[in-house]
Amino acid sequence: MSVAADRTTAPRYLEAFEAARREEPAWLAERRRLAIERFSLLGFPTTKDEEYKYTNLARIARGEWRPGSGGSLQPDALAAATYEGLEGPRIVFVDGRFDPERSTLSELPEGLEATSLAALLATAPDALEGHLTRYADFEGRALTALNTAFFEDGAFIRVAEKAVIAEPLQVVFVATGDAGTVTWPRVLIHAGRQSQVQVIETYISAAEGAHWTNSVTEIVGEDAARVEHFQVQQESVEAFHTGRVEMLEERSGYISTISLVLGAALTRNDVRITLDDEGCECALDGLVVISGKQHVDHHTLIDHAKAHCNSHQLYKGVLDGSSRGVFNGKIIVRQDAQKTDAIQNNKNLLLSTKAEIDTKPQLEIDANDVRCTHGATIGQLDKDALFYLQARGIGAGEARSLLVYAFAADLLERITVEPLKRHLERLLMRSLGRDSAAQEVSE
Amino acid sequence: MLEVKNLKVRVEEREILKGISLSVKPGEVHAIMGPNGSGKSTFAGVLAGREGYEITGGSVTYLGQDLLELDPEVRAREGIFLAFQYPVEIPGVSNMYFLRAALNAVRKHRGEEELDAVEFIALVKERMKKLKMDDAMLKRAVNQGFSGGEKKRNEIFQMAVLEPKLAILDETDSGLDIDALKLVADGVNSLRSPDRSMIVVTHYQRLLDYIVPDYVHVLAHGRIVKSGDKHLALELEKKGYAWVEQLAASGEMVTV
Repeated sequence: MSVAADRTTAPRYLEAFEAARREEPAWLAERRRLAIERFSLLGFPTTKDEEYKYTNLARIARGEWRPGSGGSLQPDALAAATYEGLEGPRIVFVDGRFDPERSTLSELPEGLEATSLAALLATAPDALEGHLTRYADFEGRALTALNTAFFEDGAFIRVAEKAVIAEPLQVVFVATGDAGTVTWPRVLIHAGRQSQVQVIETYISAAEGAHWTNSVTEIVGEDAARVEHFQVQQESVEAFHTGRVEMLEERSGYISTISLVLGAALTRNDVRITLDDEGCECALDGLVVISGKQHVDHHTLIDHAKAHCNSHQLYKGVLDGSSRGVFNGKIIVRQDAQKTDAIQNNKNLLLSTKAEIDTKPQLEIDANDVRCTHGATIGQLDKDALFYLQARGIGAGEARSLLVYAFAADLLERITVEPLKRHLERLLMRSLGRDSAAQEVSE
Repeated sequence: MLEVKNLKVRVEEREILKGISLSVKPGEVHAIMGPNGSGKSTFAGVLAGREGYEITGGSVTYLGQDLLELDPEVRAREGIFLAFQYPVEIPGVSNMYFLRAALNAVRKHRGEEELDAVEFIALVKERMKKLKMDDAMLKRAVNQGFSGGEKKRNEIFQMAVLEPKLAILDETDSGLDIDALKLVADGVNSLRSPDRSMIVVTHYQRLLDYIVPDYVHVLAHGRIVKSGDKHLALELEKKGYAWVEQLAASGEMVTV
């Protein structure tokens, strides 16, 4: 028994698992059984676990969670997940279950499949076998094990070989948000050879309760596929959000993922990618804008398994109040991964003396002909710049917002979906008490 | 326009200005000269509202208001403009956005309509032409990667757009070669008008060959030790600051 785990509530999960009746393929039932067994052994990680040193899951571990009811939502419940000017297909889940009413999937472009996992498992599960739950391992990972054991539904996105999907696909997870409820969102994105797709995953709460979201997204890109993935988390500031994004790239692929976190009281995101063949490229980015007592922890892993791959990472944090940020970026360069080029940057802006950031790069390099660079900065608003703006007539509050915006500008530039970028610019300005003219700042 | 009376200022326990008095009327150009450490830049900073100064005595009245009571942005909107000795680089904010935000803040304060993007561009292009500046600069981030000369020209350009009532030029000549100096001086001269006053803070007389002042004040050890007309600058050039130091030491206040 390790002190780095809390098994207090584990029996309850086992009971709930046993009680659940599911009609599903034997391979999935087996995976789920392995997962719950694994979780029973692991329990929830505590701060004694090095991986959770700064992020205390005690309130999740001790909580008595029940599934979200999926109850009725206000007509405008999706407003926060609507990006002005962005049309295109959308697949919506309420408390983790597919909501056909709010989804718009009738005119999917050729080559794009977007369906409910539950529906597919009931009718044609073969497309999922060998993929679903195969990338996000749960060996030492309690939270992924729990999601694997309990997810009821989620999104399956399949892009056919050589299909180039012009409009971004939106996946929206709305939690009704009652205190004490938990949802298990699950996403599988499978991009065929030489295909291209953009997927925006958005997490919102319909109410301000202390609910918990524990999500897992698996992305696999076959040879020369190009996947741009965006994850926007704007849940209630009372909520808990634990998320895993696990990605695998095959030869000459490209995957980018941007984690945008504005919501939840506590967020822990594990973002991991394996560059499994030569000529791959990936970009893992993040922008965290938090205040009050919010806590956001990003743990990233880039596994350079083969030669001639490039990875870029830029994580930025804007922390106000007594909020706390954690960034832990691990890069593994394996023996075969010669000519690896890996760049990692973590930059933080602390707007208050009480805000805090812990940042740590971790490099494990077993090849000898590689380039790996990393850097971390922590700073405050530049007083000279503030005075310069004020001395031209710009009010103190607006000057502050402008400088924060400027800090985040290069990250926002990486958001290739223009309506999403504008939405975030507005959110950023609003979270800083200003909501006008954001889009023109950098023009 | 501006009435400074016996102004005393401390910075971190050290008295930097020890009782400065200065009266600037509309349309006048006053030069303030002095050796390094005489308090020139402190004086400019205090007028613009920079942080970190403790006013221990005296008063500053600007257009009938107590200037020292106003926030820096309010001073700017009321028509005070400081051309910085070291203009600040602000990555991520374009000159265009910055200047329009500034101009509209000033216009709003004056009760004027804010300018839309089209009107604004028309205005800035006209002002840029006068200063022989390249439009491409508008898209660049504020002062980022600008040469020393470009930064100083950008200050004068901002001044041309914001049309202040009282401009304070803090060592605008420092770091400029003679061609750049002439350009900047031409820009400043084109902005001289009967209702716009200027305070030109400089270490060297050469700027005053191009921006000819109505009055020259010599600052040493936190006091104005000598005031006169433009000829004082030439005399100072000839005799050097050692002469002023002697005057300061003797406590003599001379008006030419």
